[in-house]
Amino acid sequence: MNSFPTVAKLLAKSLDVPEDTIQPQTELEALGADSLTVIELIFDLEEEFGIEVGDERPKLVVVQDIADQIDTYLASKAASA
Amino acid sequence: MTMQRVVITGLGAISSLGVGADRNFEQALAGHSGIGLLQLAGERHRPDTPAAQIRGPLPELVKNSELPIFDRFSLLGWAAASEALAQSGLDATIAPERSGVFWGSGMGGAGTVESGYVDLFIDGKTRVRPMSVVAGMTNAAAAQIALRCGFKGSVNNYSSACVSSAQAIGEAYRHIRHGYADRVLAGGSEALLCYGVVTAWDALRVLAPFDAEHPERSCRPFSAGRGGLVLGEAGAAVMLESLESAQARGATILAELVAYGTSNDATHITKPDADGQERAMRQALEQCGLPASAIGYINAHGAGTPAGDLAETTSIKQAFGPLARDLMVSSTKSMHGHTLGAAGALEFVMTTQAVRHGAVPPTAFLDRPDPECDLDFVPLEARRGVPLQAAMSNSFAFGGSNVALIVSAFR
Repeated sequence: MNSFPTVAKLLAKSLDVPEDTIQPQTELEALGADSLTVIELIFDLEEEFGIEVGDERPKLVVVQDIADQIDTYLASKAASA
Repeated sequence: MTMQRVVITGLGAISSLGVGADRNFEQALAGHSGIGLLQLAGERHRPDTPAAQIRGPLPELVKNSELPIFDRFSLLGWAAASEALAQSGLDATIAPERSGVFWGSGMGGAGTVESGYVDLFIDGKTRVRPMSVVAGMTNAAAAQIALRCGFKGSVNNYSSACVSSAQAIGEAYRHIRHGYADRVLAGGSEALLCYGVVTAWDALRVLAPFDAEHPERSCRPFSAGRGGLVLGEAGAAVMLESLESAQARGATILAELVAYGTSNDATHITKPDADGQERAMRQALEQCGLPASAIGYINAHGAGTPAGDLAETTSIKQAFGPLARDLMVSSTKSMHGHTLGAAGALEFVMTTQAVRHGAVPPTAFLDRPDPECDLDFVPLEARRGVPLQAAMSNSFAFGGSNVALIVSAFR
């Protein structure tokens, strides 16, 4: 599963920027997404995918880092289903 | 210690009367009411409840990505505060450690708290939105205003029910007067027109019944047969500065804040006490350096409850003696409702404009006076062309706190 398109869609909506400005290697900081924006985004992704991300705090630098984290959960969800 | 004089260099307001301090004052002078049928966003409704709601979209002042940290009361707060700051022409980057924010709100982010409860208890979720704490905390508006202005001095929040923002303005006045800061953006905001909070107010049996034929007339302070208060939402702010600070930068001075009287009834949790109110007014009169006859107008607390309006009529007589007969007293709550934690600031903004323009807004819909409320309550029609040397704004709260602020023309 590749959650990147959903990550980009939700992030674009929250930051009010065109979706195509968000690429996998775009840095979150460059987009103006601070730690609170990322917490909100992860919450919305959890709702969207019906998953619950744990308390681990991986270093999230680029947009793909978030997608990777979500993909890990989606993979284990698929495996346990 | 030399006491600083405290002047007003900016005003801001947003309420059911409109966006902007001028718009609010014009509407009040015209006797227009912002009261209508309460409309709630969620599934649950309280039928036949009047409310002074801001119906249009709010000014777009924060980015989409920031909205999760902004409860509606913070949005209203920033709308008012940014207007006051802009009018003052202050360069916020100058000596920011000498600039502060003193804000008032009764219940802060009540809407945020309520939607969290809906998520948990109605929708059966096991968690709430991540920004619930920082959006819902009662000092959220104060903090956001300080952040946006870059003000690094004292940022204080006052939560004392219906005097919250009057207290914030009064304490800001002392803060500048005693030299702790040169500039304070002071005011308050409240947005609790949500199902749970309105239901709680209703349970207390203080809300006015809905006037089905004329919803806008539902709040009738000082009238015979008045039925209670009408809840409203608002934000209002004043830019306060030491006279030195304002003069040094060549600011336009709108008026001078000359007194802050404050007392507590210590008699009953809700029942108004004329003696407590009188003490606040007397204290303000003693402080202001003007004869009581200089006060030409009082913007009354005048919430429209049977007991409250009567107590205030008595307390004004006690504080002013025979001079009470010559005073114009009006309750603009007849038009913008009781905006609770924002009320003191909204009404102080109105009072300041009355002094500036020599025009007194009416008590709207006062066509059937209560014989026991026998002062000049400026019924129905504004009085224009009435030079005012000074005016008082009264705010009284559940919990017994009373505040009287006096604003004078700047000379």
